[in-house]
This record gives sequence, C-alpha cells and structure tokens, in this order.
Amino acid sequence: MSLGAIVLDNEAVQALLDVAHATHRRVVAIVTEVSRRNRRRPGRVAIIVPTAVRVEAGWDRTDPAAANANRIARPRDVPLDRPAADRAVQLRAATGVSVVDACVGQAFESAPQPAAVVSSDLGDMARLRAASHAPDARIVPL
Amino acid sequence: MGGAEELFGLLDGLEASATTVTSVRQPVALRDAVKVAVELGMAANPNEAAVDALRDRLEAFAQHLALEQHFELHPEVRPTLGDLAVVAAELDAHPLAGQERLLRECAAELAELEPGASGQDVLLYAMGKRSVSGVEV
Repeated sequence: MSLGAIVLDNEAVQALLDVAHATHRRVVAIVTEVSRRNRRRPGRVAIIVPTAVRVEAGWDRTDPAAANANRIARPRDVPLDRPAADRAVQLRAATGVSVVDACVGQAFESAPQPAAVVSSDLGDMARLRAASHAPDARIVPL
Repeated sequence: MGGAEELFGLLDGLEASATTVTSVRQPVALRDAVKVAVELGMAANPNEAAVDALRDRLEAFAQHLALEQHFELHPEVRPTLGDLAVVAAELDAHPLAGQERLLRECAAELAELEPGASGQDVLLYAMGKRSVSGVEV
C-alpha cells in the first residue's frame, strides 16, 4: 500500500534544520521523494511534525533561520490536544519511551496510514509501533 | 526569487485568509463530476473540493520550488537516483528495502537508460532484473 504520511522525530528535524548536520542529505532525500509523489498526486503524503518535537528540536517556524526548513518540508503540525495527550501518556506507560517519543508514537498512529516514522531511535520506535494501533507503520532509519 | 517569496508567504497565510468569490471556466462535465463526487462523500461541498485540490497542488509546487532552491545553494545535498531508490524502498516497506548496494547499482544502470527515472522506477527495474536473472535478494 502506498505511503500516507511521514512523521519526523527530533533528530530528523534537527537534521532538516541544519545543512551541516551529518544526516541532512538523508532527510532531504526523504523529503524529496515525498515531494515527487505529491507532485504526481497532490496532497497524497503529509509530512507531520508533532508540536512536542518542534519544541525539543527548537523549530520556531516564525524564526527567519527556519524559513528554509519550513519551505522544504511544508510540515503539518500535530497539536498536543487532550485526546492526543491522553494517548501519548498511554503509549509512554506501555513502552517507557520519552515524552517526546510518546508524542511521535501518537502522531504516527493517528496519521494517514500507512505512515512512516523517520527516526534515529529504532528500538524505541519499534516498541511504540508494537504498542500502537498502527502495526503497519514503517520505521525509516535516519 | 521574489515571486517565490510571495508564494510561500501567501501559502503560509492561507488558514487565516479571507475568502473571495471567483469564477472559473471549467468543463461542464468536470463541474458535474465534482457534484456527483461530493454526493458520494469526496468533500463537504464542491467549493471545498476545489479549494483543497488547488491548495494541494500549490503546496506540491512550492515544496518542489523550495527544494530546487535549496539544491542550487547546496548542490552537495541533492540526492542521487540511488539515494531516492533506497528511500523509496524504505518508505514503501518494499521487498528490496535494505538491498542498498543492488538498488544503487540498478539506479546507475537506469540513469543511463532513462535520465528522468524516479526512485520508484529503480525499484521496478531492480525487481525486473531480479526476475530475469533469477537471483534471490
């Protein structure tokens, strides 16, 4: 089944923000592939960044220094409202991951499926996937 | 560059933007198809369907524009066809995900044959090559 969304974790966002980051080229390749798919079928694949990830990674979208990342990724925020927070708490309790990673788990679970999470923390993401309602989520190493 | 700046600014302000009535010349069959699709649940109404479609297309165009501008400034981060094939396989949980060497070899071959090939084209090419050669991957 073709991809519905990608979710970026903290490390992926940091890589996106900094052209000198060791994995900037890798995350840009992922965004480029998503962009190509969306030109063929507009709106098909969303790029999602949980707001908790933005806070941890320091991605202030009003900061002129972030303008390039804003434009390259055209990300969709996932706000941490009450249902999302409740679900993140449940995922954290089930897996023992960090607060921000629990928000990543909630985001990929609620994203259009199948979703892919781009992360450098493969173990935590695998635990989150196992505890989530998104067993087909793909874990893409950064 | 100035036009691009304006485009990004307008897209960023889309959510809070006022609306306006405009007329669009369109095929009658398209208008009627939208009406039927809305009745079938595609969108809340024809206006929403049209706005969503246009916004998605503009977003896709703007993102492509931004990436090309980024690659002009930083050509060293432009992904190769091999990079895109590897990524496409991973995003799709493709059977060839993890076969990075094979995908890069196939990307190099396909780039010679078809300069406009995509990462997903490489996956098809690699699967075809595997099928012909009978090599298990």
